[in-house]
This record gives sequence, structure tokens and C-alpha cells, in this order.
Amino acid sequence: MSPPSAPLTPGLASFLKSLKTNPIDTSIDNLISLLKRRQIRHSRSCATATAYLLRSVVSACRTSDASKLIERVQSVGKRLIAAQPREMVVGNIVRRVLGLIRDEAEDDRDGEFNLSEAGSESQPQTPRASDDPSDSLYGRHDGSALKPLSSLAAHPISMFSLLSHPEPEHSLPGTPGSASPSGRSPGHTQNNDIRAEVLDGINEIIDELGQVDDQISAYALDHIHSNEIILTHTSSTTVQKFLLKAAAKRKFTVIHAESYPNNHEATHATVSGTATNDDELLSTESFQKPLIAHGITVILIPDSAVFALMSRVNKVILGTHSVLANGGLVAAAGTRVIARAAKVHQTPVVVVSGVYKLSPVYPFDFDSLIEYGDSSKVIGFEDGDLVEQIDVQNPLYDYVPAELVDLYITNLGGHAPSYLYRIVSDHYRKEDISF
Amino acid sequence: MTNTSDPALNPVSSAPATPKSPSQAPQKKMEQSQSQPQPKGQKPPKPTKPAKQQPPKDKNASTPADAAGGDKLSPAELKKQAKAEKAARRARERADREQAGGSAPAGGQGPNTPAGKRGSDAAGGAPVGSSKGQKTATRRGSAQAAPQGGAAAELKKKQEDKNVAVFGHLYGQQRRNTVAGAGKEVHPAVLALGLQLRDYVICGSSARCVATLLAFKRVIEAYTTPIGTSLARHLTTHLSHQITYLSTCRPLSISQGNAIRALKLFISSIDPSVPEAQAKTSLCEFIDTFISEKITVADQVIAGSAAQKIKDGDVIVTFAGSSIVKQTLLTAFRQGKKFRVSIIDSRPLFEGKNLARTLASAGLEVQYSLINGISHAIKDATKVFLGAHAMTSNGRLYSRVGTALVAMSAKERAGGVEVPVIVCCETVKFTDRVALDSIVVNEIADADELVITQEPHQLTDLPDPAATSQPAPKKGGKPAASNPSVSETTTPKNNGSPLKDWRDTPNLQLLNIMYDVTPAEYVDMVVTEMGSLPPSAVPIVHRMSTNT
Repeated sequence: MSPPSAPLTPGLASFLKSLKTNPIDTSIDNLISLLKRRQIRHSRSCATATAYLLRSVVSACRTSDASKLIERVQSVGKRLIAAQPREMVVGNIVRRVLGLIRDEAEDDRDGEFNLSEAGSESQPQTPRASDDPSDSLYGRHDGSALKPLSSLAAHPISMFSLLSHPEPEHSLPGTPGSASPSGRSPGHTQNNDIRAEVLDGINEIIDELGQVDDQISAYALDHIHSNEIILTHTSSTTVQKFLLKAAAKRKFTVIHAESYPNNHEATHATVSGTATNDDELLSTESFQKPLIAHGITVILIPDSAVFALMSRVNKVILGTHSVLANGGLVAAAGTRVIARAAKVHQTPVVVVSGVYKLSPVYPFDFDSLIEYGDSSKVIGFEDGDLVEQIDVQNPLYDYVPAELVDLYITNLGGHAPSYLYRIVSDHYRKEDISF
Repeated sequence: MTNTSDPALNPVSSAPATPKSPSQAPQKKMEQSQSQPQPKGQKPPKPTKPAKQQPPKDKNASTPADAAGGDKLSPAELKKQAKAEKAARRARERADREQAGGSAPAGGQGPNTPAGKRGSDAAGGAPVGSSKGQKTATRRGSAQAAPQGGAAAELKKKQEDKNVAVFGHLYGQQRRNTVAGAGKEVHPAVLALGLQLRDYVICGSSARCVATLLAFKRVIEAYTTPIGTSLARHLTTHLSHQITYLSTCRPLSISQGNAIRALKLFISSIDPSVPEAQAKTSLCEFIDTFISEKITVADQVIAGSAAQKIKDGDVIVTFAGSSIVKQTLLTAFRQGKKFRVSIIDSRPLFEGKNLARTLASAGLEVQYSLINGISHAIKDATKVFLGAHAMTSNGRLYSRVGTALVAMSAKERAGGVEVPVIVCCETVKFTDRVALDSIVVNEIADADELVITQEPHQLTDLPDPAATSQPAPKKGGKPAASNPSVSETTTPKNNGSPLKDWRDTPNLQLLNIMYDVTPAEYVDMVVTEMGSLPPSAVPIVHRMSTNT
């Protein structure tokens, strides 16, 4: 399913590239297969891919009806989630997009009274949004995305006109040909406007995904003071940026558990500052100076030494895979014992995470959240005789209960674990939680 | 043997306050002019007495210190200067002693004290250490050994930077890599044993103890008392050389220390009138009885009683590869019990692999995961069996690093049901030392063991002549980084780990500790050959077993 033009290994970069050229259904299938094959792994990569895909879906879906748009996004979202149910950020992004659409639809309903004619003078702008899915990719950063907004302000869409203009053309959701810019009719201005609003919102989500680490790291100086000893785990870029921000001002020591066997290579690369050839990480991160270049002493330890060193650690800073509404989190395997050891030693545990990782899921069956990985990383093929005899397990994630976490730092600020449900209800609409 | 000036240097060079020594080349220059930046780089707790601390840190420091102190002639300054000179002299003596190679300070109890402790004592400037050093220096200051010692010091200077400050007191001399420089008194069996210990060929507290005793048996068999001394007096010194050599290969385990102590006690109790042949036979008999009583039979007793704790349907979690736990599980399996074993293992030694292999080939149902899977492995556990390196007098379990994590997970399981943690431990591993955390007492292994070396993958049939010759010398945990010629000849693109050059990367440190201390409250029961006890009974049992 990978595009012929892209010689890249399948991943986020190749997907985003193919999104511009491929028809929308191909792209959906492409992302589904990437998720299924775990060729997109990191939660942020998943979130970014989902957001871009949904933007294409929304811009390609030329329906007149908000509910139809919701339906379309829901159906795509369901397929994505079914492809990788444990990658909760995918669902989160879908929910946020659904929430956007509902918000817009409600705004329109509210604006019913300032009903005006669906002006034909706004028609020149209509092809823009649905012109070509790739167009919006290029024009994301210039002001062109704001144009539909102004047109909307001039001509609020009414529920009445939505209902009174049944869709004359058969651009059903899921028709690949619907991406073509031809065949417009003047009656569709208002739909395009609702879509433009939604597209704007999605662009904001995408921007948020790009900035989230910087926003989180802005709180770093509030939490790291001089001469502290900080323990962290895995090569999370969020944590690295957080520490780097503090390193610019303060001197402290970082103890880095290597998270063998699933993430140790990346951790070693992060720690030693050698260039990663991980194409999933965006280019800006690979050019970043490592902590050691800022004069921060970094001590790399095997995971087993965590308990031994915890008595000297002042703070544990952890990255996460996803955060659950009850304040618990799903993070790389090994996180739980680290958090537990920290609790035993009365060391505060700080979890840094973007809000997009916050999932409206209350876990009842913890096992269902855990993904198991490649057992050959635990025992290699050279020990094949041994593998035949024994049961080798390689869990990728741990569920860390909320009571082991002292503080969450998101791009909105610091929160107690017990407060997270509030943020969940701020970000997701009730009707979307199980769509 | 410990380098005494070493621990004192560590806080300075590895403190975060000196980040401006980025590469190794300027490092040497800094050594020369260290007297100036030193007070600045001093550890914050004691900035008041820099002059006192200064000289032991640098062997060359005496001259700059003189120059600095020369212009001011206040009595306090003079006193300080005199003190500094004295300390510098001591440091020089120590350096001499170090150059004398692997030979130890002679004396009864010296070699028994673990290396780390001795190092910190000497760093405190204990006069005992210096006088001892003097004695040995005169005795063994051979000219041939001197350049080699100098090279070793050179090497150490380069690595100084890489010692983790908190563990500064544990970095002794670098582990011996060859038998070169070992004293001529050291028996070949001991020479071989030393290398086996260093390479973890013989690993595990009991195995090391047994191997040491067997090697000493051969030493005693080959021993003849020189004319003019008695066996009881001279054999002890003779053994001390062997012991010192062993401790330079790898710090002695508690069990080794206990066994050696018992052996020396027995030697000193031998009546000088007893003929040598008879004394030697009785010594060999003593060693055999010690091994069988304290270890072989003790293991069987422990395995028997610990196996009784296993019930049908149990899920036993164990960590790394303890020989006594293995024996316990096999005993229980032979008794026809149906249970499952879940082994948790860790880098870099992967001792659990061997345990898994043995148990699986015996027919047990084995599940294997690494330390990141603890919380999953512990979920359906019903009992945790742990081996021990030692049990301290305050009831804490001193065992392979990671044990504490397993015990903690067992005690704080999510469901709220605590899993019993059972430690299998011979009483020979009990010690009167106490430990609160894993930092004061520990052993630092070579950090290069953490660097992952990928064996050169040969996918095609045509062997590269250079590549095929290489895998042979590369052994188990030995990294390619230690052997620059190997890493250069292999394809540069397959350079393996990003940590390859960690020693040349400023501010990056690797820490590879061997043990951790599990709090006593995580241990429910200690199964020994004297019965099953709570951890609080350890000091009593220890006193009983040493007094008899």
C-alpha cells in the first residue's frame, strides 16, 4: 500500500507524503495497515498521522450535513481504532475532531436567527477547502487557512438552509472521486464553511501536536532546581525537552534507566547524543543537543539498579504512552516498578504528557491495555533452542495506577492525578466518548 | 589492591562542578595544575580545609603547594604546609606501594576486609595504612614492576572522569586483566581462578566460595613450610598473597570472606608441634568438611525444606540465576509437584538464562521475562523465591541488583494480596555487616559490560577473513570497545551501540553496580540449613555459627 514515489521506510514521514497524492480511501487503508503493522509507533506519530488523515477526510467529504460529516469521521475513526485499539491517542484525536464538528454544528444552530441568504458571492472561496487534499497541506502555515473563517463570519450558516437544501450531487462519504474539485453547486457554500471551520480546528490540533513539548517544557523551571538528581526512563522526547529547558538555566544530574530491551537503543542514542536514524522522530529533534552538551551529568544505569539508586534521587520524571481518565497511565514497561520504588522512597513522581494523550477511558481490565512485543528482543535467535522450551514474554507497556503518580504536567499546566477527569470532560464531548 | 589516592580524587573530577574538562587530552594538563582549581572544585560540605585535602589528591601536588604556601609564613600556614608535605609523602609512598604490583600489605586481617572499605580507610589518611605501605614498599619494590604500575596509573587518570560521584568510594583499582604482575607466590590454580572469577565464569556466591576453597586446598597441598618458620605462622601469610590476588580480580564475596576467616582461624589453631604432612592433611580435611557442611549439604537441606513450601499449582517467581533456588525448584519438581516458574532476568549478566535452560530441560514449565516485565510476571505469582549474596545483620538481603525490585513488587501488588517472599541462603553468607542502602556497600562492575556489542552478522556464505578471525577472541560480556583493533576492522557502519565511545563523551557516565539491598520488611522468611527464620534472626544465627 505504500506509495511508489516514496522510497522511505513505511512510517509517519512516508504516510504524510503519500497523503498528498493518494486518494483518501487509499490513505485510510494505508494508515490502518501502518497501525496494524506497528510501523507507526510513538503516540505522537500516531496522533499526527490521525490528525492529518482526518483533515483530508473532512476536506474530501463533500457532504452538506454536519451529522453526515460526523458519521463519516466516526466510521473512519472506528476503523482506525479497530486497527490498533491500544493506541489510544488515535481515538483521542478522532474524538476531538468529532467534538469540533459538533461544536460547529451547534454554533450554526445558535446562529439560526441571524439567518442570511447563502450568498453566492462567497462561492469563489468554496473550491479552496475541498480543492485538493494536498493543497491544505501546503498552505497550512500561510494565512490561507483563515480565509474561510472570514467568509463564515460574513455569512453564518443556518440550520434552516442546511435542511432545506438536500444534497443534489452524490458525493457520498467514502467515494474516492469526491475529491475532485469539479461539480460544485452554489448551494454548498455553507457546508464548505462548516468544513472550513472544522479544518481550521484540525489544523489547530496539528499545531498543538507540534508545540506540545515546548509548551510542557515551559514548566520545567518550576519543577527542577539546582543540584537535583532526576531519574528518568526511556527516550521520551517530551522528557528530554523538559530536562533540556531546565538545563539551560540550572545544573543537575540525570540518572537514566535504559529501558532494555524495547527502547534501549534509542535511550543510548539520546543519552550519548549520537544522531538517531529513527525516521519517525521529526527532524528538529534529531538536531537537538543532548543533555550532556549542556554540562548535565547523565548517568546511564540498567533498569535493575533503579531501586538501589532511588534513595539518592530527588525526583522521578516519566514520559508516558497514554494517560487514562482515572489518573493512571499506560507507559513503557518497567515504569511501574520505577514509580513503585519512588513511592517506597517517598520520591515525587512527575509525569509529563501532552493533553492529546489523555484518554477518556476508565480502565477495568488492565490486561487489555497492555501490548506484548517481540520476544526475540528478550532472547535472541541465537538461543533458539531455549526459546522452544520456555515461554518468553516481552510486555511493552505497564499500567501505573494513579496513586503512584504525584503530578501530571501537561501543556495546560500541572495537575493532580485526581483532577484529570475534569480535563477529559473539557476536551471530549460526552457523546463521543464511546462513538 | 586498592589505589588509595583514587577515592579522594573522585568527588572532584566527577562532581558536576567541573564540566569544563571535556576531553581526555586536557585532563592530563589539569592534573598538573590541579592545586589551583582544586579548592573551587571541592565538594561543598567541607570547603574550610582545602589545604589538608589537597595533597593526597595529586602526587605532584607537593611542589605547587610549596610554592603557594611559600610567601605567607603565618604559623597556621606553616602547620598546614607541613601537614601537606607529610600527606604528599604518604601519597608518594602509596604510589610506590601500588607500583609494587599485586602484592598486598602483609598481615592477618588486611586482605579480608573488602576492597572498598580499605580504600576509604586509607583515603582518610590513616597512619596505619601508610606504615604498612612503607613496609611492603621496601620489601617488594622491584624495578621491573615499576613501569607497569605507572602505565596502570596513566590509564586510571584517563578514566577518573567516569566514576559516578555517589559511588566514588567503591571504585577501587581497575580490575586485573591478566595474570601479569601477580606475585610469584600466587599458585597457578589461584591464578586461573582469579581470571575465571573476573570473567564471571565462576559466578554466584556459593560457587565462588567453593572454588576458592578448592584452589586453596591445592595451594596447601603444594605448600612446604620454609625453614625457620612454623606452618601456622607462615601459611597464613602465604594464603594472604593468594587472597590479595583474588581480590584484585574481583572483590571477594561475603561467603569467600567467611570461609577464609574460618580457614585462617583453623590454621592458627594448629599446634606448631604437629608435623607438616599431618597438618596439611588436617587442613585439607577441614576444607572438605567446610565445603560439604556449609555449602553442599547445607544446600540439600535448604532445597529440601524450601521445596516443602511449594504446593501444587503454585507460580514461583525468581530473579536471576541462583543455584540454591534452582536446586529447590528441581527438588520440588522431582517430588512430583506441579508448578510453574517465572524467571525474571536482567542485563548485563543474564544469569536467568542458564536457570531457564536447566529448568526447561528438566521438564518444568518456565516463563522468562526481563526486568521490565516484573509487574506482569508478579501478577499471577503465588510465591517469590530469591537467592542471596549475603544477609546483613540488620536482616536485609544483599543480592544481585534488581532483587529489591522483585521483592518490592511482590509486597505491593495491585490486588492488595501480598506474595510471600522466601530467601534461600546458607548461613555462610551471613555477615555481621549492616547496610541501610545499596550505596555504602556494593560492588562496581566494569561499565563497559553495559555497552551492547553486536556480534558481526554474517548473512552471506563468503566469510570475510578479517571478520571470521574476530568473533573468537571476543568473549561473552567483553565489549568491542575495549579492543580498538576489533572495532576498527569491523565495518564502521555496523558500529553497534551509540555508547561505544562513552568514555570519550564528556558528562556521560555508565554505572554498573552488582548488588542491591532489599529492605527486611520485604522478606518473609529466610530458609537456611539451620531452619526457616525471619530476617531479624540473622544476627543471632550468625553469632551462633561463628562462635562455635
